[in-house]
Amino acid sequence: MSQAATVRVRLGKGEEIRFVSHLGFMRAFERTVRRARIPVAYSGGYHPHPKISFATALGVGMTSEAEYLDMELNTADLGDLSTQQVFERLRSAVPPGMPVIAVCAAEGKPALASRIEWASYCVSVHASIRPELEDAVLEFLSSDSAIAEVNTKSGRRRAEIRPMVRELCWSSSGALECTLACGGRAHLRPQDLMGHLDAMRGRTGAPVEGHEFTGRSCIHRTGLYFTDREGGDLVSPMSVECKDWVMAGS
Amino acid sequence: MVNKDLLVTDILPNVSQPARYTGHELNAGVGDHGGAEATLLLAFPDVYEVGMSYIGFKILYDIVNRNPAWVAERAFAPWPDMESQMRLHGIPLYGLETYTPARSFDLMGFTLQYELTYSNVLCMLELAGIPARADERGEGDPIVIAGGPCASNPEPMAPFLDLIVVGDGEEAIADVMRETARGKREGAPRREIVDRLARIAGVYSPALGNRVTRRVVTDLDSAEYPRKFVVPFLEAVHDRVALEVMRGCSRGCRFCQAGMIYRPVRERSMENLCKLAEALVGSSGYEELSLLSLSSADYTRIKELISKLAAEYGPQGVAVSLPSLRVDSFSIALARDVEKSRRTGLTFAPEAGTQRMRDIINKGVTEDDLISAATDAFESGWDQIKLYFMIGLPFETFEDIDGIAALSRRVLQLGRQVAGARGKAGRARVNVSVSSFVPKPHTPFQWFAQNTREQLEQKQSYLKERMRARGLSVSFHDVWASHLEAAFARGDRRLAQVIERAVGLGCRFDGWSEQFRPDLWRQAFADVGLDSSTWANAEYGYSEPLPWDHIDMGISREFLVREAHRAEGGLTTPDCREAGCSGCGVCRDDVRVRLAGAFAGNSSQGGEQI
Repeated sequence: MSQAATVRVRLGKGEEIRFVSHLGFMRAFERTVRRARIPVAYSGGYHPHPKISFATALGVGMTSEAEYLDMELNTADLGDLSTQQVFERLRSAVPPGMPVIAVCAAEGKPALASRIEWASYCVSVHASIRPELEDAVLEFLSSDSAIAEVNTKSGRRRAEIRPMVRELCWSSSGALECTLACGGRAHLRPQDLMGHLDAMRGRTGAPVEGHEFTGRSCIHRTGLYFTDREGGDLVSPMSVECKDWVMAGS
Repeated sequence: MVNKDLLVTDILPNVSQPARYTGHELNAGVGDHGGAEATLLLAFPDVYEVGMSYIGFKILYDIVNRNPAWVAERAFAPWPDMESQMRLHGIPLYGLETYTPARSFDLMGFTLQYELTYSNVLCMLELAGIPARADERGEGDPIVIAGGPCASNPEPMAPFLDLIVVGDGEEAIADVMRETARGKREGAPRREIVDRLARIAGVYSPALGNRVTRRVVTDLDSAEYPRKFVVPFLEAVHDRVALEVMRGCSRGCRFCQAGMIYRPVRERSMENLCKLAEALVGSSGYEELSLLSLSSADYTRIKELISKLAAEYGPQGVAVSLPSLRVDSFSIALARDVEKSRRTGLTFAPEAGTQRMRDIINKGVTEDDLISAATDAFESGWDQIKLYFMIGLPFETFEDIDGIAALSRRVLQLGRQVAGARGKAGRARVNVSVSSFVPKPHTPFQWFAQNTREQLEQKQSYLKERMRARGLSVSFHDVWASHLEAAFARGDRRLAQVIERAVGLGCRFDGWSEQFRPDLWRQAFADVGLDSSTWANAEYGYSEPLPWDHIDMGISREFLVREAHRAEGGLTTPDCREAGCSGCGVCRDDVRVRLAGAFAGNSSQGGEQI
């Protein structure tokens, strides 16, 4: 591993721990690193903290296969630790529901969080409401504008969300897949999109009793993406300035 | 198994802190009920974050689950939002490991840590679908047992418990599991298993009303201690490796129940503690290692232990901490060793404001001790000092309350001087926390009445008047809460109907100020025609029978009477580790003080020693 020892890790968040908060998830990973005896670098100052930075928070109640983080290692204690070893040590130390999906070395001065622009989700939808939802999705996609009620830190407000929805389609298994703006510049929470579709459904047809979207639909994050500087394509955080990849199952 | 899908889709998204109810933490044992010979649900009558901080359950959980034939799971009191969701959807109380309903366990074991959790015990039984009263339970209901410090007077809760385990649980729990397994194997009816368990040493049966002698682990060093802890995702109140360095304290503060009922002092060896620390840090990944006991600065090899642990774990990002400090310079030196960087606040407990009162309660601390400790603390960079005091102590006068104000102001002034030398006089702060004395069973003060609510309120406002100064803040414990604590601490079986009534009226989480409803408790007492002051505010005569006479905690009655008389005379009694046996009566057979080194005591013991 090179001297600029930053390791990028992709984790999952399983069913077992879907109700764990982002803070709890981060703390659990920090403890995993300590159990795994990975020589992580610590911040100086009064409260030394391991230098681990997560790409973005995941809402409580959601599952994920795309939780990314950068972890700075202490080069003095590094020895010849390979990403393969980091991967294996982490995998043997993680708590239930926190699978290690991939590990790689990040080069240069990585800025994971600030480069994330999009997130993809898979929302499982109850069969009984799918027909009406299909109408709402069609209507949403055929319009250039969609004003929705969204939750922000400062409370509920109305916002234009159409530009923040890059993709919205049905998977072969009948789940709703979407790619939404994610990060500091623009951010759309999948619950807010689902809430909006729900409201549209309420306008276009009679709501189905007892099947609210947000409570019952399980939301699973499938990816986080940078935008390619040239073509504007979505690229994985592990494909830019990274090397020495190790992946689960490979 | 309870309906997990319903929990996930309809319940947990609608409650605060849903991770309290989902389990699946690192190191949580996943037991197979099918193959188990005996199953136990450890039930903590407060929220998850509080219960997960309790070392007693960690020990019992480990002992039971280490045996492949036994299963232990955990349950905590659901917060009121979760309770109403569970009732709405018909979800019973369940064990967090396998979501097995509480009623399917062989045993349900509550810990009684604090009198104001009693309402939660009844609420949890109700949510489990188990009849509240032991005499209404039958075949198919778990055997409900309880332990913990409040088991030293279990009478107010006795009708709700099949059995009560008094004293150290390490050996008793194994006996209980073994007997339960044997009873099940032989096909014995529930009633018979309860009777057999009642014959185990240290087990009290409220139905039989037998005399019981407290279980004592004679040699703590060879007692079981976990090598791994369940690591919560949700931040527990004490979220760290807790290393119990010793059990018991013989300083002999006369108000302190823990200082009486956990005697004698039994220390773990350095070697054992270092081994345990290594295993626990390695298996948990915790960032803090706390040396736990009633007074860890008294551990005979504390300096050596701290420097060894700090050298070993500091570089791994693990901080060593001491949960409690004595009021002396030695303790400040220790605190300086462990808190190299973060010096925000230190806590001292002088407990009383005048030397006269500190001698009455046998708190071996002088004003000089406090001043030199505070000076050291301020000079070492701590800007905030927290002081604990008690009001309503026996023989208290308003001069003693004046003393609290004077002492607090003196410490503040000192802080302003020391901080002022650095040009930061304004940074010095003294936060004073004032609780109300609660007479507790098995202490020299068990016979004394608590002050009435009116007296306590008057003393609180008297003190508040005298604590107005910049940099000085004072907070008081709720008077009604202390009053109820005293009533239940010194209560008898008649109080059971009050608890039952209060739970019916909606009382829950009485230790939480935002949930506490003194109005409902008042109504509960009125509804059953009882007066709480009968127990809280009455002096008990030395020759009168006490509600806890049948619970033998090992401390002799003569010693307690003698100590009460010495208190009245303002005479202190020194620590037996220093001045020889004080005759408390706890040492007999193999039960004796066991130290890992030589006891040094603190620099000066307060008061006159006769």
